[in-house]
Amino acid sequence: MRGHNAIWLVARRELVERSRERSFIIGTIVTLVILAGVIVVPELLGDDGPDEARVAVVSPAGEEVVQAAGAAQGATGLRVIGVPVADEQAARAALEDEEADAALVGDAPRIVVVEELEDDLETALQQASAGVRAATALEQAGADAEQRQAVLAPPPLEVAPLEPTDKGDDELLIITFIALFLLYVQLIGNGYMISSGIVEEKASRVVELLLSAIRPRQLLAGKALGIGLLGIGQLLVIGVFGAGLALAVGALEVPAGAVGALGVVLVSFALGYAFYATLFAVAGALVPRQEELQSSSTPLIFLLIAAFFVSFQVIDDPDGTLGVVLGFVPPCAPLVLPVRIIGGEPALWEIVGGVIVLLAATAALVALAARVYSNAILRTGSSVKLREALSGGGGR
Amino acid sequence: MATPVAGTPGAMLELDGLTRRYGDRIALDGLSFTVRAGQVLGFVGPNGAGKTTAMRIVLGVLTPDAGEVRFDGAPVDAATRARFGYMPEERGLYPKMRVTDQLVHLARLHGASAAQAREATERWLERLEVAERAGDRVEHLSLGNQQRVQLAAALVHDPVALVLDEPFSGLDPVGVDALAEVLAERAATGVPVVFSSHQLELVERLCDAVAIIRDGHLVAEGTVDELRARGGRGLWRVHVEGASQEWAGTVPGAEVVGDGDAGLLVRLPDDGDEQALLRAAQGAGRVRRFAPEEPRLVDLFREVATVARGEVPAG
Repeated sequence: MRGHNAIWLVARRELVERSRERSFIIGTIVTLVILAGVIVVPELLGDDGPDEARVAVVSPAGEEVVQAAGAAQGATGLRVIGVPVADEQAARAALEDEEADAALVGDAPRIVVVEELEDDLETALQQASAGVRAATALEQAGADAEQRQAVLAPPPLEVAPLEPTDKGDDELLIITFIALFLLYVQLIGNGYMISSGIVEEKASRVVELLLSAIRPRQLLAGKALGIGLLGIGQLLVIGVFGAGLALAVGALEVPAGAVGALGVVLVSFALGYAFYATLFAVAGALVPRQEELQSSSTPLIFLLIAAFFVSFQVIDDPDGTLGVVLGFVPPCAPLVLPVRIIGGEPALWEIVGGVIVLLAATAALVALAARVYSNAILRTGSSVKLREALSGGGGR
Repeated sequence: MATPVAGTPGAMLELDGLTRRYGDRIALDGLSFTVRAGQVLGFVGPNGAGKTTAMRIVLGVLTPDAGEVRFDGAPVDAATRARFGYMPEERGLYPKMRVTDQLVHLARLHGASAAQAREATERWLERLEVAERAGDRVEHLSLGNQQRVQLAAALVHDPVALVLDEPFSGLDPVGVDALAEVLAERAATGVPVVFSSHQLELVERLCDAVAIIRDGHLVAEGTVDELRARGGRGLWRVHVEGASQEWAGTVPGAEVVGDGDAGLLVRLPDDGDEQALLRAAQGAGRVRRFAPEEPRLVDLFREVATVARGEVPAG
């Protein structure tokens, strides 16, 4: 059987069998639900329009204040609505029935409330009252409408930020964080899948049957390829779902940013997965049973956690020294580079250089992993020391 | 098969000078024997003699330090090897994979096309009477059914040679008969079949030829009849009524190797004179039986293993 054919058959088995597993399907759905929550909940909370306050008015003077407050809605964000009532008694009834939040009573209006007046409403009414009085005073002093306007509603002060920000910056920060988190989770998840898949074949002894048909390298390459494709597919589903949902509920102001980020995540996953897959393969090949996998894979999990945390630091300052340097450190690069590309403005050489270093490290590790795997895979009885597996003291 | 490769049924499988060390221990020491086309060869030897190591080398799971395996006269390459059928001593299948999916996958890894793999899977599951469990995960099968699926895994790609490591261990008598039938049937199509076993009566019954190894090298090889002729030479069953066995000691070179209801078992040296033995027996009493003994394989095995041990230089 031709080599690439065997690799593809092994890869296809991984894809088909694993995507059918209940744990995989449930895991994917849970991720989608969490992502949907992250995207939809802020929109629900933030988009219910300006707050409203209803004010019962008895006198024309009160009505004037409420009208002024309604006109000045922009200042406090509170929408004041006047509710005309017949007399003070009716106003009290409206308050007690909670049909009004406050009432303006009397020619020189007092604010009547049940217990306490809300800060926003008080500010709105007091400002409106002051404005009405000032307008009356100006009118009596002989100022015309234009003059009154100039005094009472001057053009707002201009705000000049020292570090102007883009409209989509907050959004970009969130996208960067989501991208980093997805990458981290996916690298750990798929890496562990490789280890446990190798151990499954050792522990069940099926590996000897497989190796009577194909070479160890074909088996390893096929397994890594299949699980990698599964990871990319899962990321694609999650990414497209997330971006689509965000667009649908209007959470994205810069859709192109999200689509670009998804592309960066997929490429980063492919590169990072290739690097980490070799290490997880070694961790799996050295132990005979799932129970012992934890001890051999723990250092790797810690390596990924460390890479995640330093990348998290880089989000705040994507183009700072830390980010630039870590982009050239292979275990960190798959997480740091996407953070820099999505959230910052790295120089092209920094990205290309980082990728080249990562690929070179991966190539070296592939050779090492293939050697360890081939030497250790048939030693199904007990754990194999890394040094032994490297020196070829094993079965082959 | 989708990709025709060298080697078709009707070719012979040769192990030539296989040597393999594990550290200081020599597992195989120049092991050579041949399985002819259509022959069922029993591969026997005490535990640790190197049977599993030899079979793993034939399948390419292990590489020998020296020697080679030939099929159809040519050194076996990966493509040819993929067409061999193998049952490892340590049984194993994917526990969570469904029976049909698993067999189709294995057949395809061995080079069968998708259609061939499906057809053969169905055929073997029917034949081995596990068709109704075709959609079940392997881990949910009984041990007996797992054995059947394991056998199907060795057969599903229509192998051009069969190498089975202890295929009968753990089988009930019905399973033994079914497997024996399948092996004979495969051999009849010209496939060389080799299996290891500790059940020597079974080997005697099923095999055309036997290879006995000890300490990593061959100590006897041949058809069962040849081995019998060899091992049986000079072995006589003599029943003398009412006599003790002292009389046999008077015959030069004779050695009593057994005593039972059927009489004494006496071995004569290669140049021994059975007529002298007969005369001595007649002298001792009334001879009820005097016949050359057909040795059982188990006796041959004991004998060969002992002789081999004797050959090892002291120290």
